Amino acid sequence: WILAWMGLEINTMAIIPLMAQQHHPRATEATTKYFLTQATAAAMILFASTMNAWTMGDWNINQISHPLATTTVTLALALKIGLAPMHFWLPEVLQGLNLTTGLVLSTWQKLAPFALILQISQNTNPALLTTLGVMSALVGGWGGLNQTQLRKLLAYSSIAHLGWMIIILQFMPALTLLNLTIYITMTSTMFLSLKIMASTKINSLALAWPKTPTLTTLIMLSLLSLGGLPPLTGFMPKWLILQELAKQDLPITATIMAMSALLSLFFYLR
Amino acid sequence: MLKILIPTLMLIPTTWLTPKSWVWTTTTAQSLAIALLSLTWLKWTSETGWSTSGPYMATDPLSTPLLVLTCWLLPLMILASQNHISPEPINRQRSYITLLILLQTFLIMAFGATEIIMFYIMFEATLIPTLIIITRWGNQTERLNAGTYFLFYTLAGSLPLLVALLMTQKDMGTLSMLIIQHTKPTNLLSWGDKIWWVGCLLAFLVKMPLYGVHLWLPKAHVEAPIAGSMVLAAVLLKLGGYGMMRITIMLDPLTKELAYPFIILALWGIIMTGSICLRQTDLKSLIAYSSVSHMGLVAGGILIQTPWGFTGAIILMIAHGLVSSALFCLANTNYERTHSRTLLLTRGLQMILPLMATWWFIANLANLALPPLPNLMGELAIITSLFSWSPWTIVSTGLGTLITAGYSLYMFLMTQRGPTPLHTISLHPSHTREHLLMAMHLIPVLLLVLKPELMWGVCH
Repeated sequence: WILAWMGLEINTMAIIPLMAQQHHPRATEATTKYFLTQATAAAMILFASTMNAWTMGDWNINQISHPLATTTVTLALALKIGLAPMHFWLPEVLQGLNLTTGLVLSTWQKLAPFALILQISQNTNPALLTTLGVMSALVGGWGGLNQTQLRKLLAYSSIAHLGWMIIILQFMPALTLLNLTIYITMTSTMFLSLKIMASTKINSLALAWPKTPTLTTLIMLSLLSLGGLPPLTGFMPKWLILQELAKQDLPITATIMAMSALLSLFFYLR
Repeated sequence: MLKILIPTLMLIPTTWLTPKSWVWTTTTAQSLAIALLSLTWLKWTSETGWSTSGPYMATDPLSTPLLVLTCWLLPLMILASQNHISPEPINRQRSYITLLILLQTFLIMAFGATEIIMFYIMFEATLIPTLIIITRWGNQTERLNAGTYFLFYTLAGSLPLLVALLMTQKDMGTLSMLIIQHTKPTNLLSWGDKIWWVGCLLAFLVKMPLYGVHLWLPKAHVEAPIAGSMVLAAVLLKLGGYGMMRITIMLDPLTKELAYPFIILALWGIIMTGSICLRQTDLKSLIAYSSVSHMGLVAGGILIQTPWGFTGAIILMIAHGLVSSALFCLANTNYERTHSRTLLLTRGLQMILPLMATWWFIANLANLALPPLPNLMGELAIITSLFSWSPWTIVSTGLGTLITAGYSLYMFLMTQRGPTPLHTISLHPSHTREHLLMAMHLIPVLLLVLKPELMWGVCH
């Protein structure tokens, strides 16, 4: 665990100067917020692992078994990636960054915590994971409804997708990985296309049609895919996740997740 | 099945590679060839009723008429769109045709699917091209709102369907339609099972549409361009009916009690939407509400689950598909000339466009279910089976027939008879293309009078 913690800290330190590159006050504010949240999360991870080592005598990542320790470490990792109810930093931080850094934040930064999450998945509290997942999906959907800034929109979409990923973790971690991969691909597409068009608000997207019609079509398709419409690829993780949930006799959870996907779809559609 | 799917997909390179002046001709010709090829599906030779062309795609007497209808409509859609698309740059015309072809492919795969999940995916997939057609090529500013309504109504109904289907797969092990018709009836007793039943049906009821959840239909129809309206009215609504027919096989015996509120909604909807039609000022809106009314009859016929009910439902679906599409084409000819859908502004056309008045006459007669047209066959079968289910339904169905006759005649008289307003005297005469379009719509309706067995192979 010590090495994992060190890795996470170095990751945070490395990205801080990248975020602060733009000498805009909002960028600095975003950097500060990010640093604070990530440092808190890392400290909590250290605390949880030490507590586990103290009570169970084990430093191994996937043998963390004391219930308090597992809960703490799950919450800490959730804070790191931005799951509800610890998601409040994500929209503002993302808003303060330029699009490339935002891309890195949304995609690459999620890989490390997810590696840890996957490894501790057997011992985590199922109720906690389900709560985190459902809340994230709902918050991601509701929060994005009133947004016009594209980066905040993508932040809320990230929260919603992470919710989907977490909820299947306890049943089939392979699906979490699949969802993560597909999400990274789709979000990278979105960020890169937005960067090409240099637009950060919904209004500026409306002018995109005369500039690059091909790119606009691609953006539309990838947005619909993010929303999870068949027959686009974005539907596949949602479908498989719902299938697993149904197999585990959790139809209500499945229906709630599906309806929250509708919320996200609404703001993608704009 | 592949004989039809591959030429349809190959239509897409055809549209992009043919030179500019030949695009419309070649696409119409090729889609017409595909439509004629699809008529071969109408020969059912298999014992079990399903003629398979693969483990996942099969046709049976229920899906074949709808498939033929879909394939037949593609050349008609392309014909109808020629005029209003022509001012646009050629690449946009090509992308419009490509969207229509994609929609067609998804529809063929939906009607030919044997796994219910594949049907579901194709059902959802048809939403995307339709959404793009409505929002991108619609005529009014309200089209964005219409597209949103359309998408969200349908999706809100179909996501519970997905969950319900996945639960069924867990319980029964398979969702193949070939197998489900032979499984023993499930024991459905608890509240959760009742919710599962509603979840299965809700998507199709929204799509049909049932009276309570029909708000998306008039919006979508009015805002869509002509090809969008045609395909929406003719085929997409039938997807809902077809899905309902397939799903009710596994929903027994719960349906006997739970179907009551929906049957009542459907019957009440016939009368209500018919009455709205009598007060409409917008021509396309009138035809849209008449669609809701007919589909209410279809829903009633399916929900009571009798053989005659099913037969009547499918006959009415086919006939309504053709006639409704024909009416939309007629409304579009008016719209292209006057750029207005208001009934008051397009009166008295018999003086100016007499041949088109003939088509108006025939289409309206078909709409009000004149014998011996198949519209009447379907309506009569449904009304009879509803009557045998409960004698009180004759009140609403009889009243509904009367009101249908009322607004169809109203539509005819308003557009054709009466004094011609002065501003319409200088309209263009009818194009041959429009006459061809109307003929190709209405001749199959007349031909079906001669051999209705093509449509009701399900139960006889």
